Amino acid sequence: MTSGLVVHAEHSDAGSIYVAPTLPTALDALHDYGSAGAPLAGGTWVMRSPIRHEPLKPYYVAIGKIPELSAIRIDTAAVEIGAAVTHAALAAALTDLPEFGVLAAAAGRSANPAIRNMATIGGNLAASDFAAADCVPALLCLDAAVEVASRNDSERMSLVDFLKVRSTLSPGRLLTRIIVPRTERKTAHARLPLRKSGDYPVAIVSLSVNVDAASRVQAIRIAVGSVEPAARRWWRLEAALLGCEFDPPRVADIAAELTGEFTGRDSVEVPAWYRVNVLPSLVRRAVATALGS
Amino acid sequence: MVLSLSVNGDRLTSIANPATPLVDVLREEFHLTGAKPVCREGFCGACMVLVDGSPAPSCLMPAALAQGCEIRTVEGLATNGALNPIQQALEASDAVQCGMCFPGMVVTLTHLLATTPVATRDDIRAALTGNICRCTGYERIVEATLLALAARRQEA
Repeated sequence: MTSGLVVHAEHSDAGSIYVAPTLPTALDALHDYGSAGAPLAGGTWVMRSPIRHEPLKPYYVAIGKIPELSAIRIDTAAVEIGAAVTHAALAAALTDLPEFGVLAAAAGRSANPAIRNMATIGGNLAASDFAAADCVPALLCLDAAVEVASRNDSERMSLVDFLKVRSTLSPGRLLTRIIVPRTERKTAHARLPLRKSGDYPVAIVSLSVNVDAASRVQAIRIAVGSVEPAARRWWRLEAALLGCEFDPPRVADIAAELTGEFTGRDSVEVPAWYRVNVLPSLVRRAVATALGS
Repeated sequence: MVLSLSVNGDRLTSIANPATPLVDVLREEFHLTGAKPVCREGFCGACMVLVDGSPAPSCLMPAALAQGCEIRTVEGLATNGALNPIQQALEASDAVQCGMCFPGMVVTLTHLLATTPVATRDDIRAALTGNICRCTGYERIVEATLLALAARRQEA
């Protein structure tokens, strides 16, 4: 690394932080640090490492001041989101794009205002142990792709594939960009926190749909978050709904028949079965919201 | 390496490790104990400070990343000993109970008053999503904020 501020730790129990001014310097630093280093964006996940009984890395590369990672580009074909864009900035940027209502809701209603001002979209996707991330199911139902860069190359892959490999990405690789295609669609994001807001959702259902003039489903993508350790598409429900009337109670009934494929995660907040049992209700709410969008 | 931080208008130095949460630097080195490290997860808001004018949970901000920012804690909100409008309203409304959450509440509501002069009851509740109080039930806090907003509109 040739420029940027490096703040070294005086003791071994906390990380040194390199504030990278550009993407190449960040990738260089991550390459040099190898498995001893990690990116640091909003800090809302990394800084809670002690609570999870995880040691801090010796080295962090702060990426929040890199201009291209903090930019959102909206054109006719796609929306491209830098990995260090905060939830608050993303929600604000999508206000006038109704086809992105699901993502605006996910980014704009997660956690609380101060956290939304710090937490980044890249952190939401890259934190493989964060099951309740709102933006992951939202981006899954929008068929998003991501770009992962290293010092020597850059690779584009679907978000579905990224979620499979994110916990085993080799050191030096950094999620840099999220690309979401623009198409006409109705979308919705339904989440169930234990309080009205401000805590992690028990379960999340995100969907995007196209219906015909008779309100029958032509195309649909449904993603479920927070129920299992990682968010995923609900492929069987999507297949079952093709050609069906897009009616909230009807769709919820079909969902109820298919919840058996989920194995809920147990936690101190709620038992595993509860996360699964609320899914039909969340699907019903999501369908009703999408019909009104 | 020594960290150089701007806190309540003062330039202060810290020898903390770079990833030390800002709240610990504020309290342990600068003896600004208004911000409270309670949940250390960004949920409770007791450690809220203003960073470049916006509320931020100081438990989740590495001290190194606070360099170059203007940090304002609850100790820096009163000017020349005069309480700011939300502090005055909270006192006048007898809204303060145990005090654990209140520095964070004051920080968040100071920002709300500055940025959303026409805030509604729902806006206030939404702004306080990240500030948890276990004593008051919030109603007096919300009422005090509405009073402060009304007073500000009368002055304008």
